[in-house]
Amino acid sequence: MRFLSRPHLIAGVVFLALALYPLINPWQPYPQAVLLMMFLLAIQASSWNIISGYAGYVSLGHSMFLGLGSYTAAIIALHTGLNPLWVAPIGGVTAVVVAVLAGSVVLRTRGHAFVIITIALLLSAQILAINLSGLTNGSDGITLELPFWNADFQNIPFYYAFLFLLALTVLFSGWIARTKFGTGLIAIREDEGKAAAIGVNTTIFKILAYACSSFFIGVAGGVYAYYQTFLNPVGAFAILGSVLIVLSALVGGRGTLYGPVLGAFIISLVNEGATVYGGNTQTRVLILGLILVAVVLFLPAGLLPTFQGWWRKRHPVSTEYTDQAGALAHTITVRERVPSPSGAGPLLEVRGVTKRFGGLTAVDGADLTVERGSITALIGPNGSGKTTLFNLITGNMQADAGTIAFAGKPIEKLPPWSRGHLGLGRTFQVTRLFKDMTVLQNVVAPLPDGKLRTMFADAVSGAEASRARDLLDVVGLGAFAAQKAGALSYGQQKLVELAQVLMLEPQLILLDEPAGGVNPSLVGRITSVIRELNRAGVTFLVVEHNIPLVLELCDPIYVFARGTCIASGPPSRIRSDQVVLDAYLGDDWRPGATAVERSLDAHA
Amino acid sequence: MAQFVQAVTLGVLIGGIYALMASGLTLIFGVLRIINIAQGAFLILVATFTWWMWRAIGIDPILAAFITTPLMGALGWVLYRFVVVRIRGQAPSMSVLLTFGIALVIEGFLNVVTGNRFKSATPSYFEESFRVGDILLPKAQVYGFLAAVAVLGVLYLVLTRTWTGRAIRATSQNPSAAALVGIGATSTAALAFALGSASAGVGGSILSVLYPFFPASHYDWISRLLGIVVLGGMGSLPGALVGALVLGLAETLTATYGGLQWSTLVFYLVIMAVLLVRPQGLFGARLREDAA
Repeated sequence: MRFLSRPHLIAGVVFLALALYPLINPWQPYPQAVLLMMFLLAIQASSWNIISGYAGYVSLGHSMFLGLGSYTAAIIALHTGLNPLWVAPIGGVTAVVVAVLAGSVVLRTRGHAFVIITIALLLSAQILAINLSGLTNGSDGITLELPFWNADFQNIPFYYAFLFLLALTVLFSGWIARTKFGTGLIAIREDEGKAAAIGVNTTIFKILAYACSSFFIGVAGGVYAYYQTFLNPVGAFAILGSVLIVLSALVGGRGTLYGPVLGAFIISLVNEGATVYGGNTQTRVLILGLILVAVVLFLPAGLLPTFQGWWRKRHPVSTEYTDQAGALAHTITVRERVPSPSGAGPLLEVRGVTKRFGGLTAVDGADLTVERGSITALIGPNGSGKTTLFNLITGNMQADAGTIAFAGKPIEKLPPWSRGHLGLGRTFQVTRLFKDMTVLQNVVAPLPDGKLRTMFADAVSGAEASRARDLLDVVGLGAFAAQKAGALSYGQQKLVELAQVLMLEPQLILLDEPAGGVNPSLVGRITSVIRELNRAGVTFLVVEHNIPLVLELCDPIYVFARGTCIASGPPSRIRSDQVVLDAYLGDDWRPGATAVERSLDAHA
Repeated sequence: MAQFVQAVTLGVLIGGIYALMASGLTLIFGVLRIINIAQGAFLILVATFTWWMWRAIGIDPILAAFITTPLMGALGWVLYRFVVVRIRGQAPSMSVLLTFGIALVIEGFLNVVTGNRFKSATPSYFEESFRVGDILLPKAQVYGFLAAVAVLGVLYLVLTRTWTGRAIRATSQNPSAAALVGIGATSTAALAFALGSASAGVGGSILSVLYPFFPASHYDWISRLLGIVVLGGMGSLPGALVGALVLGLAETLTATYGGLQWSTLVFYLVIMAVLLVRPQGLFGARLREDAA
């Protein structure tokens, strides 16, 4: 906790010093101008960090928003006679509108289209600014009036305007990082498919993050245009501006709150030094390029995270191992979903679902019914389509044919997060925790519904965090809350994933091999958690290879082979079903048969 | 009508050249999952070198490809072996940033060595044309197109008919399985990077005749090439061909009927429209992600 508050303390002191600087040293225009450019770059880097640091979607054209803000404020000022300073916020609005429009097109899928489109957008904006000369005055650019204040004040008002905007940007970014929205963004960066499975509407989250990362740059653009009193397409939409932004965030540490600001201050000074001592713009590009390559190769995490890692090594915090005794003593409370889907009929109904991968039919017209309040098992040999069926039910994949109904509602067309919001949770065969997030963050991340209030709920303290702590205590890992999830053992990660899915307040939990790779005492813990939850009203669908466990825990049991259900019923029937035994163990599984073959071999 | 046919013919010629340039990018992405932002800078680097050889020694710019292609292949191999390989296994965004840095280094280097002004190689046939009926085919475009098609053909043969090609394709589909059957991941990756860079050797030499360029032009080029790759579907070679033809046609048709200044913008609009309907691009496939 002390370590957490220390960066904020330092940031506060730096802010105060910067706020007082013009009062102490008012007649030095040059250092003020240098500091002012540092603030401007820090505003941009800190904003960039929201989409590219938190959410991990790198934008290489982020300086576009500065140009958009500049042009918006300048054009409005030119036509209305208003001072650019007062209309600067409208520049922020323009930036947000463009971000939302572009984001809605390129952020719907996972992958690399985004980074490419950001470059194209920047160049397109430049082309538009050159060619829409009626609006922008083309390549000649727009000249604005001089500042309205007395020349004795020099650029001090601009200094404070940028410092104020920087403070707002950092507070905004810090607030985002504290909310479940921020946790969701980091979840997207770590594992987008998993994020969708725990109720994160990845499309909306990414578009929103892009919009959030554009607003303050747009506002700053308006102020910047007035500061320069002149703007043209080549200057306003310079790709070198984007280079400086990316470099700043990278040097300081992307994904951290203060890293981009620290990096911006450093890069701004380097840039100034290169301009003053390095000769011309040409050498500046070379120097910045070399720095970028060097940072990626030798300091990929950035200064701040590297320093934090070093600090942790010097000041280790001891943790206990899994608190099995404590966990066993803990009782589980299930938070009631409002409104709870009620009514008759089975909770989950799968009818005729088919999924093909090219020529391979992984699931072939499968039928499956999960009754309310049951612990239903799904067993079958490897490759029989169990996990694929899970993926179809939770929406990680779309079925080629068939229907899936949850509490009577067809869900086969819904995205994964909507199914999560309905009360469908899952764990994965190989755990998919967000390894760079803490255990607590992992458990806080799930969103039980799609409401904005849930999205912007506090994730660090308050109701959500204490609920997450409770769930961690349930699985006996409360002591690990502050550890990185990647540092935990495999079995512990299974338990964290179980706590994570409970955060979703699910009606139905799909467990993919809950006991796989877990030691016997933990298996006992997991089964007792499943039983307790089941008693509290949660339904389960379990894939598991540990047959004794399945026979003891589950009823009914469905048996899958070659993508379809070959038998179902209570454990007593499945145990002795000839078809099941053949499918699972092969036709020659009987010891007698093998003995006969062996004797035949011997006689041959 | 003749104007339309003229525009379409030119569009196809330019599209073929774009296809060659984009093929290197898509090859590197397909095998290494690296978006090589430096591909545009490679083109300008080669164009500058070609221009210099043409000015200083009098080597024909398009024939210069015989020199620049192996040189770029070697540069790509060295770059991979000593620089790019160090970020293997890290988040894909790191490769974007690294190659972006390499692009800046090349741009800065060219700025310092050759200065920041427009250049263009103008051999004797620069302003001549073949005439087929009413249609004019500029000789430089035709030669460039033929060279591009030849190189694409060779690339196709290498990828489908040789052991190296099979190794590259195997690695692009499943690196760990390829490693298990005895394909060295690092050397295959280096080969793919070298091949991709070598294609910029031909592309850059052709570019030096067809387009005026200066060090910072690489942004224009990389953004066009990436547009082609996104349009066609990341990592798909047929996709890159189709994307390149779409770009070529969009450019010449807009230049003929709208105005030259809008041609790039129209292409970006086409990309956005395609992504709106098919977020994965024209030929992009969504594979199963659970069994990775």
